[in-house]
Amino acid sequence: MANLAPVAAWTLPDVHHFARRAGFGVTPEGAAALQAQAPGAAIDAWIDGTGAAYDLTAFTTALATADVVLEPQVNANTSVAGSVDVPAVPGPHPFLVEGSDAWRNSLNTAQAAWAWRMQHNPYGFQERMALFWHNLFATGQHKVDNAALMLKQIQLFRAQGLARFDDLLVAVSKDPAMCIWLDSVLNNASGSRIPNENYAREALELYSLGADNGYNQTDITQLARALSGWSFTFAEADYATSPANPNQRVAADGRFKVYDGSAIAPDTRLWNSQVRATSYAMHGTGTITLFGQTLDITTTANGWEKGENALRSILTARGANCAQFLAKRLLTHFVTADYTAQDLNDVAAMIQASTFDLRVVMKTLLKSQYFFDAAHRHALAEGPVSWMVRAARMLCPGLAAASAQTPKGFPAWRLVTNNATTFDQAGMKLLDPSGPNGWKEHTAWLNSNTMRYRTKAAAAIALNETRSYNGTSYPLFPTAVTTDWFPAAPTSAQAVYDRLEALLQPGPLPAGVVSGWLSALWPGAFAWDAASQTKARELAFLILCSPAGQLY
Amino acid sequence: MTTRREFIQVLGATGAALAGLTACGGGGKGSGGGGGTTQPPIAIPGAPILVIVNIDGGYDWLNVMPPNAGANLGVYMAKRATLGITEASALTDLGSGAALNRDLTGLDQLHGLGRVAWIPGIGMPNPNLSHFTSIDLWGQGAAVPAGTGWLGRFADAAFSPTGDVLRGLTVTSDLPVMLKGANRSFVSIPSAGGYVFPAYLLSGNAVPDAATLEAGWGASLSATSADPAYTVAAQAGRLFYDAQNNAAFGAGGSLAARTPSVLYPGDTGYPVTRLDGGNLTGNLSRQFKLIAQMIAAGLPAQVYFSRLGGWDTHSNQAVDHPNLQRALGGAIKAFYDDLASITTASGVAQDRVMILAYSEFGRRVQENDGGTDHGTAGLSFCVGKAVKGGLYGGYPDLGNLDANGNMKFTTDFRSLYATVLDRWLGQATATTDTLLGTSYPRLGFL
Repeated sequence: MANLAPVAAWTLPDVHHFARRAGFGVTPEGAAALQAQAPGAAIDAWIDGTGAAYDLTAFTTALATADVVLEPQVNANTSVAGSVDVPAVPGPHPFLVEGSDAWRNSLNTAQAAWAWRMQHNPYGFQERMALFWHNLFATGQHKVDNAALMLKQIQLFRAQGLARFDDLLVAVSKDPAMCIWLDSVLNNASGSRIPNENYAREALELYSLGADNGYNQTDITQLARALSGWSFTFAEADYATSPANPNQRVAADGRFKVYDGSAIAPDTRLWNSQVRATSYAMHGTGTITLFGQTLDITTTANGWEKGENALRSILTARGANCAQFLAKRLLTHFVTADYTAQDLNDVAAMIQASTFDLRVVMKTLLKSQYFFDAAHRHALAEGPVSWMVRAARMLCPGLAAASAQTPKGFPAWRLVTNNATTFDQAGMKLLDPSGPNGWKEHTAWLNSNTMRYRTKAAAAIALNETRSYNGTSYPLFPTAVTTDWFPAAPTSAQAVYDRLEALLQPGPLPAGVVSGWLSALWPGAFAWDAASQTKARELAFLILCSPAGQLY
Repeated sequence: MTTRREFIQVLGATGAALAGLTACGGGGKGSGGGGGTTQPPIAIPGAPILVIVNIDGGYDWLNVMPPNAGANLGVYMAKRATLGITEASALTDLGSGAALNRDLTGLDQLHGLGRVAWIPGIGMPNPNLSHFTSIDLWGQGAAVPAGTGWLGRFADAAFSPTGDVLRGLTVTSDLPVMLKGANRSFVSIPSAGGYVFPAYLLSGNAVPDAATLEAGWGASLSATSADPAYTVAAQAGRLFYDAQNNAAFGAGGSLAARTPSVLYPGDTGYPVTRLDGGNLTGNLSRQFKLIAQMIAAGLPAQVYFSRLGGWDTHSNQAVDHPNLQRALGGAIKAFYDDLASITTASGVAQDRVMILAYSEFGRRVQENDGGTDHGTAGLSFCVGKAVKGGLYGGYPDLGNLDANGNMKFTTDFRSLYATVLDRWLGQATATTDTLLGTSYPRLGFL
């Protein structure tokens, strides 16, 4: 059984285990500070983001001027009135893809912006949960074709990722990117039209119950009818326009709207940018039968939107199925893929007992003796984005130090993401999964190609790779061995390894591997000189791309 | 229930007296719309290559090979009032009440040459309308799924456990379940350059101590561990480590460059465009060009896997579906033609390659408001010079749908796998049956 009672004390390995899974790692110094606190209070603060350690002020300030690298589409044409020749303005420059810059619609920049946030957000749990929900409610730019709306959905996960699951499910179902992604915007059940069941099917199969778990084809078509016309509108002010090209316009925002023929004021445009005073009449009328219950899909009782009662009935009618579904996803991401049926039942029962309150669920799970079972340490293979971000968090200078450098010492994420190919080849095309099922986790992250790209990424991170762009050479991951990695000079090869192991937290390496590395790198007497500092980079590289380095 | 016609087709290749009946329809009569003359199949080559094309998303094959006669046509016209393809000018008659949509560019020509075996109605008992469940079922291909794929189990049986690292290869960046074996796995190589360790994320940097790093990484990959996750990571890394050492990957880890001998969809000047006049997607073209380059470079791969996604046409089908068909058909035709220009020590590539296209399911017969939702039975087809062209298995009866309005399958998809394992990949009958969990009737197209 899964013992969900909280632990009363924790060791340093426990703290590291928690920080790897519930965030993106913690430095040895940070781990010591956490261990000095009682686990209950420390984990509450970590999850709630309360206290000075998780204060967002400096982070929010830095975010506005984060990046050090431009990309071609930032080059607005100065011959157009009101445009800005960005390269002519000394950097650094912010990530320009949201708000009035939404017209740029760049997946690469959006990926870089989120990776930067994951690396530097002091409230790392918020980003960890957003990453978890992005996999569960997987939505992709290749169909949404609007990077600003994609990031708006990620912001939804930050804001409501610890709400009640039924509220989150409703919010995601109303999210503009999701409405485009699975065709809600085209789901027309007016009159005798046959609804588009794309979203309804995946809402049951992928987003709440799991395949064939408590619903049938009739439920899908009935839910599709209830959710017909779920769409969004936007205001003229949110129609971001390229200063160089008035025809290049992208919606920077969107407000949920059931398209039932009613007025859309104060908005002026439909989801497809058409200017109209009223929405199309797409929402079905009458009643449906879902899970054996008859529901009026035109009611707005409880302050709900038309059809929302059907969506909410998933949890009221099929709560046990939903709890099992959520428990599987949470266990596989946060605890272990090797759970027993009893473990699953125990976690599902806890979820139901919490009335799907995700804050309670996450606190209970992440404080539990089950979570801290030593057998679960390094028992999961880590996803590539998390893996890359965690290494950057451990090896690159922190927010304050990086912000103080000229140019700023942040990773050049827009070059790292490399036209949105890097995360793709590593197995997780962030913000653009191939389908609504997202990514299978654990060992499914690992194949010959993803391992190949992890070696490339490990080289970029550990070996101080640079890339020239517009005549300037940028370190992809600016790191300084002596100040960032070894504030105290190591006195032996083993001490170099011990420090890097404490930072990078690989899983257990088989006997002889580490000693083999050390004797190959330092065959003679050890001295902490420039040559040894290069060797330290090589050792970090080997740790990162070893099989043990993929586990967390 | 099996009709007499289906029975004959399934048994066709086993009886010389029946051989002339194995392929029904236009292919056998040389009446394809492409104007080609049917050519006899060549013998199974000595070094055959299988190229899998995954039509990802569940394609609406009913609009690729619509009925054009009989009761099926009436049902089709009623349920596809908006999206149905019925104009004679858009279709090539295949006989047997079915026609080929000419948007599947080039396939009518290949059909006219007798190079295409079509299997409409392919599917399974208890079909699943989930993409992901159905993809797993198609990938596993066994009566009792066990997390391995039918081609992965083939690799387990046929490939050397310590060598043969490049014998099974996907040009996608993922590793689909179809290719997962218990012991052996396929290597994933989605591009022709930079296939070398250690390689920087971006080029242009010198490696400080490359030999030490390679030896150190190799040591961690070769180390034995009781931790199953460590072992999975080590095996995955080892595949890359060993594959990149193949001599075909020259300086900088690049395969010998090759210029395709024909234009592919997406190339400038390719004569077929999207409906809006724009360039077709070159996604599948890129994968086929890479496979051609790999064959030309002498890689020893026996099985390649490729994929074209985008077929989940719940909406906007009238635009998306023709565009996708043009890209799919055009890429297959270009690849087939391109292979004629490649000769290696193992022979002419066009003689050696058979293309097998499949999708996880077909789509609902009744259209929705602008698209089609998930359905059941599919259409697989095989293209190659050794293929006996024509239609195999029965076309589904559109007047006899299941309770959800979906087609009932007519040919078990594992009959296709069994046929390919036996006759193309050279497995003994008993081995094939073991790989698939039981014995399935073989089809007569090989």
